Amino acid sequence: MKILLVFVALVAAARSEELFVGHQVLRVTADNEEHIALLQGLAEQAELQVDFWRHPTSPGNPADLRVPFSSLQAVKIFLESNGIPYSIMIQDVQELLDEEKKTMLKSRRMERSTGTFDFASYHTIDEIYNWLDTLVENHPHLVSKIQIGQSYENRPLYVLKFSTGGSNRSAIWLDTGIHSREWITQATGIWTANKIAEEYGQDPSITAILDSMDIFFEIVTNPDGFAFTHSSNRLWRKTRSLNAGSSCVGVDANRNWDAGFGGSGSSSNPCSETYHGPYPNSESEVKAIVDFILGHGNVKSVISIHSYSQMLLFPYGYKTEPAPDYQELNELAKKAVSDLAAVYGTKYTYGSIVDTIYQADGTTVDWAYDNGVKYSFTFELRDTGRYGFLLPSSQIIPTATETWPALLDIMLHVLEHPY
Amino acid sequence: IPDSGNKYYLHFTTEDYKSGESAGSCLATVLYPKAKSPPAVSIKCTRTRDQKQIQEEDNRLYQKIRHQTKPIIGSNIPDSYGIIQPSLEPAWALAVAGSSYIMWEKSTEHLGYFMAQVKAVKQWLREDDFVEFDYTVLLHEVPTQEIISCHMRLTWLPAHPLKVKYFCASESQGLEEASGLESGSAAEVAHGREANF
Repeated sequence: MKILLVFVALVAAARSEELFVGHQVLRVTADNEEHIALLQGLAEQAELQVDFWRHPTSPGNPADLRVPFSSLQAVKIFLESNGIPYSIMIQDVQELLDEEKKTMLKSRRMERSTGTFDFASYHTIDEIYNWLDTLVENHPHLVSKIQIGQSYENRPLYVLKFSTGGSNRSAIWLDTGIHSREWITQATGIWTANKIAEEYGQDPSITAILDSMDIFFEIVTNPDGFAFTHSSNRLWRKTRSLNAGSSCVGVDANRNWDAGFGGSGSSSNPCSETYHGPYPNSESEVKAIVDFILGHGNVKSVISIHSYSQMLLFPYGYKTEPAPDYQELNELAKKAVSDLAAVYGTKYTYGSIVDTIYQADGTTVDWAYDNGVKYSFTFELRDTGRYGFLLPSSQIIPTATETWPALLDIMLHVLEHPY
Repeated sequence: IPDSGNKYYLHFTTEDYKSGESAGSCLATVLYPKAKSPPAVSIKCTRTRDQKQIQEEDNRLYQKIRHQTKPIIGSNIPDSYGIIQPSLEPAWALAVAGSSYIMWEKSTEHLGYFMAQVKAVKQWLREDDFVEFDYTVLLHEVPTQEIISCHMRLTWLPAHPLKVKYFCASESQGLEEASGLESGSAAEVAHGREANF
């Protein structure tokens, strides 16, 4: 019967009809041979369309009947007037089918993630952290995992290091997921990290880059926030640090950097989504990166990935005065955006943060730029508001695929313009 | 414009929300007066889509909703993974239209909105031909990044303007955002705004 139910569900799903709304399954117990004969007569009345899931065999053994909504009254009256006891096993068959489809989808999702990693679906923090180890295992001579610190709730902050050797080579920093609700970014990060590892030795650009430079990639930059989006609030943006004297939780990790900190492009209210925090680098998630980049001393590019809006941005966000390297950054952004659009036609706008999106103070890229990292960019990935943060997983691979050439453009430019 | 306010000149294209097909373009001016009051808008659009086709689609949507044997009830549309259940798509589509009215009224020179998610929807069955839905929608506010929860009551019949009543509460405490009872109907908004979708 289970097989029949599943088959019927698949057929219904394939035809995308609702075939069984209001249908009920009745469990009927024939007490004697007469009842059995009556039930068989019921089966023969084609216009009633009663579907026997379990046939009446002998007295005392239950029979299960699926009865369409339109025949329900007639069948029930028939059973009652003949003294045949019955109970309602399934109140609404369609509801059950819908529920089952949901479960099937869910388990399919789970199945896919244990076998080979499914890049086309969204993952939990545990799945991602496990995958980081898998990536290292699969590319032991290229990729390693380092821990740069701990989150507020003591989760490890992991960074993937892509290196072909050397000692403290010039480096490119990439991060995704600093705002936890921007799920397309962590997902794109995973795909991209995998792509870097796979394409080294195959793609001439990434090979040239990695032969001279290192890449550091933090995929879950805000693990506490990310865990919270899975457990409690899908639209959570900030960290999960407790704020003294307030019932509101969290700091906007992209307003917590020491560049124009505390200005009007951020909020001093702990309850606000753009709360900058009590002081710069108050967030351990931010401080860990600051310490890493300053300690490294040779980072030439910082690319911080967000969603949504479809934009490629560069400093400044905290002031309107153009950055000294405005021309070069603007030209590079223009090229990257053009190569991105060439893949699927996705249109991006580009420019400085303050010109293109809005004034934002204390951001990652402004801090990086003011600390000597010339090639500092922020991506805002898909879409432009239709799904916003809730981008369907079917768009993960297309988004990552189109972003790849844009990232390569920037990284190649960094390679070819040492400073 | 000195002593008057800021005037914006806009030229934009529109597209069908479902199919992405081009639906025409518009020229508009928006004047935000110095004194904070609703902006003065003048707008002219050229439509590329056939009125008859739009009416047919409206009727199809309407029939889809009326055809249900039980009132539509749902939550988290789209879900965390961006999935919209096919059976809930009509309710989502109406929410998009209704929310656009809320966002139209709430937008200012410095605050914009997107509809982030339908948190809950419940259909109220009516004796007449109108369809009626009760929604909790979440709006994403920029540049504040806040998520605003709005309760929306929506009534519709094809060829009639959408009727929307709403009340928005700010999720963030401490912001003295005005959260009074606001209501209105599309009939009151005489900006030439289309209630067809």
